[in-house]
Amino acid sequence: MAAKRAETFFPLVAGDESKLNHSRHINYWRRCLKTYLPYQYTSNDSNRMSLAFFIVSALDVLGNLETGITPGEREGYINWIYHCQHPEGGFRAFPATDFGELRNENNKAWDPANVPATFFALLMLAIFGDDLERVKRRECLEWLTRMQRPDGSFGETIGENGRIEGGNDIRFGYTGTGIRWILRGSVEGPVDGVSDINVDKLVECIRISETYDGGISEARFHEAHAGFTFCAISALSFLDRLPLPTSPNNDRVRGLSNLPLTLHWLASRQTATLDDDDAYDTNKDGTNSSATCHDADSFAKLSGFPPKNSESSYKGQPTSQFETQWTGMNGRCNKIADTCYAFWVTGSLATLNHLPIIDRPALRRYLLDKVQHLVGGFGKMPGDPPDLYHSYLGLATMAILDEPGLKSFDAPLCMSNDARKHLESLSWRRKIVGIRDGDEAEIAASSRVEIAKPDGMQVEHEASSDRSHLTLSGG
Amino acid sequence: MSKYSDDPAWSDIVPLPQDDGGPNPLAAIAYKDEYSEAMSYLRAVMAENEMSERVLGLTEHIISMNPAHYTVWLYRAKCLFTLSSDLKAEIAWLNPTALKHLKNYQIWHHRQTIIEKLDSADGEVTFISSMLEADSKNYHVWSYRQWLVRRFDLWHEGELEAVEGMLKEDVRNNSAWNHRWFVVFGNEKMEGVDDGVLEREMDYAKAAIYMTPQNQSPWNYLRGLLRYAKLPASTLKEFALEFASPEKPDEVHSSHALDLLADIYAEEENKKEAEKALDLLAKRFDPIRANYWNYRKSLLELPAAAS
Repeated sequence: MAAKRAETFFPLVAGDESKLNHSRHINYWRRCLKTYLPYQYTSNDSNRMSLAFFIVSALDVLGNLETGITPGEREGYINWIYHCQHPEGGFRAFPATDFGELRNENNKAWDPANVPATFFALLMLAIFGDDLERVKRRECLEWLTRMQRPDGSFGETIGENGRIEGGNDIRFGYTGTGIRWILRGSVEGPVDGVSDINVDKLVECIRISETYDGGISEARFHEAHAGFTFCAISALSFLDRLPLPTSPNNDRVRGLSNLPLTLHWLASRQTATLDDDDAYDTNKDGTNSSATCHDADSFAKLSGFPPKNSESSYKGQPTSQFETQWTGMNGRCNKIADTCYAFWVTGSLATLNHLPIIDRPALRRYLLDKVQHLVGGFGKMPGDPPDLYHSYLGLATMAILDEPGLKSFDAPLCMSNDARKHLESLSWRRKIVGIRDGDEAEIAASSRVEIAKPDGMQVEHEASSDRSHLTLSGG
Repeated sequence: MSKYSDDPAWSDIVPLPQDDGGPNPLAAIAYKDEYSEAMSYLRAVMAENEMSERVLGLTEHIISMNPAHYTVWLYRAKCLFTLSSDLKAEIAWLNPTALKHLKNYQIWHHRQTIIEKLDSADGEVTFISSMLEADSKNYHVWSYRQWLVRRFDLWHEGELEAVEGMLKEDVRNNSAWNHRWFVVFGNEKMEGVDDGVLEREMDYAKAAIYMTPQNQSPWNYLRGLLRYAKLPASTLKEFALEFASPEKPDEVHSSHALDLLADIYAEEENKKEAEKALDLLAKRFDPIRANYWNYRKSLLELPAAAS
């Protein structure tokens, strides 16, 4: 039913050129930037820093941030971010816990800095072109070491008596290692007298979260999930601990103990099951019901068709049956597609230098024809209204897929390469990661992240010596 | 009428309004007055570390509007413990609240804190079942269930039977398959599993495959068992051939069988048959993943073919 609603907005004729409606997306995001978000976002009030990041970064990726705001507004936004900086390092996720002058030792447990919010605040400062000189960098890194538990996992906030609160899943390991990468690259060991996090322990934590089917889960023995898989792979990339030829050649423990299996799991996420209505009776023998049968359509429908395309080559387009013109990504085995998983999966594969193993044109068409919304932004599923989260991750996926008119994108940092280059150019950071003034050429070379692969397959074993952004630390 | 400012029970409190940091706040939300007011009172009582019955009411009110508020839950827990409140009543309140906010993280953390303190899993399994009835693949519920099994040593308290019941209902429920793996292999007190268990699990996965050959969950489970037991993929050759063979392209019943056969042939260094299986997948039985299957074909050219 939902699919039909969407089809009335976007007539689906195979062969029609699918388009990213730039101006509508810009309008959507500018409305989010310049006017109040509707009260329905109240349940996300505690995630304001991430909502802010989606808005600012989306406009940056669309190339509209600089032109769309005045210098005064830019300064005002930067000041708001610093307003959320926590007196003891890190950032609050929203201003609502700030007691102002009433803050004291007895009540500070209710007003902590927040790990994901700190990551997003720092990224936003980079996007705005700020120099991060007002960031309490030393305090932030010291606080970060206190966020790690003995088992290697990270928490979200520090509560009473220094207790680490929040889940122990890799979302916090991802954003924690992201903070570390922003403030000190992937240099291991103490920097300026501030000790490092326990990198080996965190990598170990990720390794035991790998599942029997090759994905990565929230914690040991939990179910493989594309979101956690992205977080784990990105964390490993921030730490230079991926099992890739581009990672430093040393004997440190790496994450992803079985890369081929993880790639299998990631490739398995692409699906033509976009809607509950797509449920399909595979066997026609009563063992399946429409309620239980998901992700069977590619096989069941297509095996009924005679093979049309006999010349499908490795470099060419996949067989183009009508049913596979639009395929999204699910987040777990036997679930239906959802816009956000398009990002978690493509982001993971881009970081692993294996993006071409999926069907990118079909994913692009799914995003543009099925979940892109008339007013701009993306919905979660066909026919759904847009929301900030799905709209940002939909747009980010389009950038990863090299959509013309969008800025090139860094998957682990989840923002434009322009913003990343700005971060890397900051003199205090260059000092820490050991880049001297004469190393300009190397920075430029390493800055060209090869997310934008040509159409031909660029697989791991031929990924050559191009240095990914992760290897800056060696510089 | 304002809920707090007009209530004599709150007249001693000076509400603390939110400082949104200047003229250009980001992601500013059009709060309803009800929320703004409640939050101003929350800040005021938190700043004083007040622990009282009215605080419990206020936190409940905030949670109904913003369940993701990460410190309101911690504050509430401390308040409950300080007042020696009835924790069973707290769980009774949490049950419908969890059902209302199925995707919320904090609520589960809070539940763990309370159940930990109660030191009893009474009623929890029933509650989990009702949650799974509402959403049989809810990630938080399954994660919580694992915590509960470990914490209260429920390994042999009907977990395997419960999973079987759920798989009977929906053999494609991958969360249930994963939980099965946890129940069989997740008990750290056990040192590995014996061959009988391994065989039982293989048979179970195979039976599910006979029922739904195109269901990836039991295939993944079966292949996970092989890797666990460090057995070669060829152990399953005869089984896979029941569902597909590169020689009989018109009688393929499962793309996952072809996938497995491709690995088996690669293991046997039978490049030609492996290529045939991968070609069938790319061109006919799983064209969504044509690029992936072709990539797998390219790996056959490498000296050490991938598993």
